[in-house]
Amino acid sequence: MRGRTQQAAEEAEVNMTPMLDVVFILLIFFIVTANFDREQAMVLEPPPPPSPDQPTDPVPTIIIYVDDYDRITVNSRSYELSGIRPTIERLRAEEPDSAVIIMAHPDARNETLLLLRDKAYDANVDKVNILLSGG
Amino acid sequence: MARNKRVSHAAAGDEEDVNLTPMLDVVFILLIFFIVTAQFIKAPGVTPQRANVENDASVHPLGILIAIDENDDIYMDREIVRIEELGFQVGELRQDNPQGKIVVQPDRDSRAETLIEVMRVLSEKEGLTGIEISTEKD
Repeated sequence: MRGRTQQAAEEAEVNMTPMLDVVFILLIFFIVTANFDREQAMVLEPPPPPSPDQPTDPVPTIIIYVDDYDRITVNSRSYELSGIRPTIERLRAEEPDSAVIIMAHPDARNETLLLLRDKAYDANVDKVNILLSGG
Repeated sequence: MARNKRVSHAAAGDEEDVNLTPMLDVVFILLIFFIVTAQFIKAPGVTPQRANVENDASVHPLGILIAIDENDDIYMDREIVRIEELGFQVGELRQDNPQGKIVVQPDRDSRAETLIEVMRVLSEKEGLTGIEISTEKD
């Protein structure tokens, strides 16, 4: 009787060490490959799909031109980047709910576009269309 | 003597025999957590100089990364992708990662045309109304 119980205990004792090794290796692999990467990002609106018929736009628009040397022009006056936010705010005070459009030369630098969009966010413009000018 | 020896051997065996079951439970839970949260993002392979802006936010979870370097080459998964292939490549990576967000990483000095073309392709392909553009970390 005594001998039998001892034998049962020995049978129940499975050697877990190899499985533990494998599980640890899997665990370490998944910890190492797990990425909790985050990116800082700003939302930019993609260009709208071309509509077949261009309706006459009743909405007043503020068009910000950026040329190939990253010069910024609004209403044929050139501005520094720092002057854009007050300009947008002033124009939107005159004409509330004006849409803002950035017309970028194909060779304009993307930093200029991003900084302009940033200034527009500062001026509480929730949607800015970014379009390519003819070149 | 013989009896004593056996007893001491058994006692040593008891000491070695640590109960591994609770640790194994914890390890399995960790393992399952990391398996479930694992997402394999294909890095573009280039690190562009990002613009520094104020109105940016942290994006998580990431899905597809598209980089544009200063020579206007588009990189995905460590390879240069032509603009005509971009939609197809995005679809390929989408199969591995159906939920993660798309982030475009344009270099400061890349041309506006490239970024706008990339955004146009992405909005056509994915129907996005806003595209995350990577910016400098503060």
